[in-house]
Amino acid sequence: MTSDRGRKPLTGWAFLAPYAIAVGLLIALPALLNVGYAFTDHTGLTRDPQFVGLSNVRRMFNDGFLLDSVRASAIHLALAVPLRLLAAVGLGLLLAAPRPGGRWFRAAVYLPTVVPDVALAVLFLWVLNPLYGPLNQLLGLFGHSGFTWLSDPDTARLGVALMLMFPIGEGFLVVLAARRMLDGRLYEAAALEGCGPFGQLRRITLPLLAPVLLLLAVRDTILTLQVNFVPAYILTDGRPANATLYLPVYIFDQAFEFSGFAYGALITTVLMVVTAIVITALLLVVRRWRVLR
Amino acid sequence: MGERGTIRIESLTRTYGRVVALDGVDLEVRAGELMTLVGPSGSGKSTMLRLIAGLDRPERGRILVDGQDVSRVPPHRRSVAMVFQDYALYPHLTVLGNLLFGLRVRRVRRDEAERRARSAAERLGLADLLDRYPDQVSGGQRQRVALARALLREPAVYLLDEPLASLDAPLRFATRADLLALHRDLGSTTVHVTHDQAEAMTLGDRVAVLDRGRIRQLGPPQQVYDEPADTFVAGFLGSPPMNLVPGGGLLGGSPGLILGVRPEDLILDADGPIEVSVDAVEALGSESILLTRATDGTRLTVRAAARCGVRPGDTARLRPDPARLHHFDDETGRRR
Repeated sequence: MTSDRGRKPLTGWAFLAPYAIAVGLLIALPALLNVGYAFTDHTGLTRDPQFVGLSNVRRMFNDGFLLDSVRASAIHLALAVPLRLLAAVGLGLLLAAPRPGGRWFRAAVYLPTVVPDVALAVLFLWVLNPLYGPLNQLLGLFGHSGFTWLSDPDTARLGVALMLMFPIGEGFLVVLAARRMLDGRLYEAAALEGCGPFGQLRRITLPLLAPVLLLLAVRDTILTLQVNFVPAYILTDGRPANATLYLPVYIFDQAFEFSGFAYGALITTVLMVVTAIVITALLLVVRRWRVLR
Repeated sequence: MGERGTIRIESLTRTYGRVVALDGVDLEVRAGELMTLVGPSGSGKSTMLRLIAGLDRPERGRILVDGQDVSRVPPHRRSVAMVFQDYALYPHLTVLGNLLFGLRVRRVRRDEAERRARSAAERLGLADLLDRYPDQVSGGQRQRVALARALLREPAVYLLDEPLASLDAPLRFATRADLLALHRDLGSTTVHVTHDQAEAMTLGDRVAVLDRGRIRQLGPPQQVYDEPADTFVAGFLGSPPMNLVPGGGLLGGSPGLILGVRPEDLILDADGPIEVSVDAVEALGSESILLTRATDGTRLTVRAAARCGVRPGDTARLRPDPARLHHFDDETGRRR
């Protein structure tokens, strides 16, 4: 009897074990080692890294490039997360209702997510080309002379954010599914009260989707701070004027190009802490707004 | 201009693809009347309600409320309030929030809106629940929230779509009485849709029996029960349904007729003319339903007293009440 009862929780652990071991070995342990390496002189090739105390930290506080990098990441976060959320939520709500040809539109929205990052980035090199890129030609139709997209700090930031507005398939799908789960009668009840489409969006759809939107915002914040590496590397390589020298790019440069593995590890740890702070702030704001019950 | 709360429906037609939901229906609901629409699922009763509410548009025909054609008027300008079957309460709002929803949309001043919401809640016994969310109150309370929300519209016409269907049996019985009392109290016109014939019998001033998009019969419930206009109504209203037997058979009559007799009008009588064998006995406590088979194979359902002493396998004799035999045409099914 007692052995039976004792075995039950073990079964659960047994099922969990493969995943737990992988997470431990491939994520938790390297993350911990990373924190340790941050206080050594490890170059990435050193056989016997030595503990150097806070010297990396001191270097960090005097690093002008790091400041540029943090600023680039912060601006990118403020630009890309709202734009991506707006695109995913807007398209998700727009295409949730059954309409003729809807499935083609939905497939079209998801398609860029399937395209590999590198391919999309190369495509955007062309889209943003100041001479023959379609974006400038489009602006030309409205009498605008166009931008030198990737050579100017401001437009380069915008260019990367523009590219990241396309791979939004997962968020789009989540919004689509969540919207379709809402009871249609709520909207009929609202229509009887004289509540129009925008009123329904504000009073029913958005409040009911709030948990989903929060989830997407948190996920996108984490993602945006980290997955901007490929576009930045291919489109701008961190330039111009360090405008797109996002933290992952800077970490890569330090750790693997400049043989500053320990310093890279320290900045990675900082990125983790910054991400945690941003998400905590987000959750606090949400609690303040009382959008969740 | 009619009195406040009259509804006139003229040759109303609505199809969904190939399905004809309503087929040229005419109906007039008097001011202050409680009209019940009853019928099997797919008979068009809910479609009718949605058309009156303005949630759907008719293909042909007109709807007049208080003498005014509202067929092309949006729902919120129609002076109708609707209570949905599953109540359609906003899950993210408290009971108070649900009551305030419409008032806020209509830009009623905040303190005035709150005063009215609280008084409607008071009226329906919801005063202690205002801070709860819909998933924190019982089914009966949710229904009352939906009613209170309808009340706050102060409409000329109330539309109730199976308001009791989601309640369990004892609660349904009590709520039926509450609903009737509320209707009498408000004195406003109410159209009530149900597929439950007990509700149709007890709740309506008049009942309209619908089948496949047409009204088969319209009248006071007892009259419809006593004099069903055709075999469909005879079979639909009443539980268990009326026994229908071809003319010239057990119940007499001439060929070309269908004769009907309600289970309670077949009396167990040792000298009765019909001999049957009893297949099954459903003892319901207050009465028994006997499922019997006559010597010629005709099945007859009989309503008998609770402890009538008849058992499955017994033979019994039945006497139909001659005053309560119904005659229908066997081609059209219409009453003759």
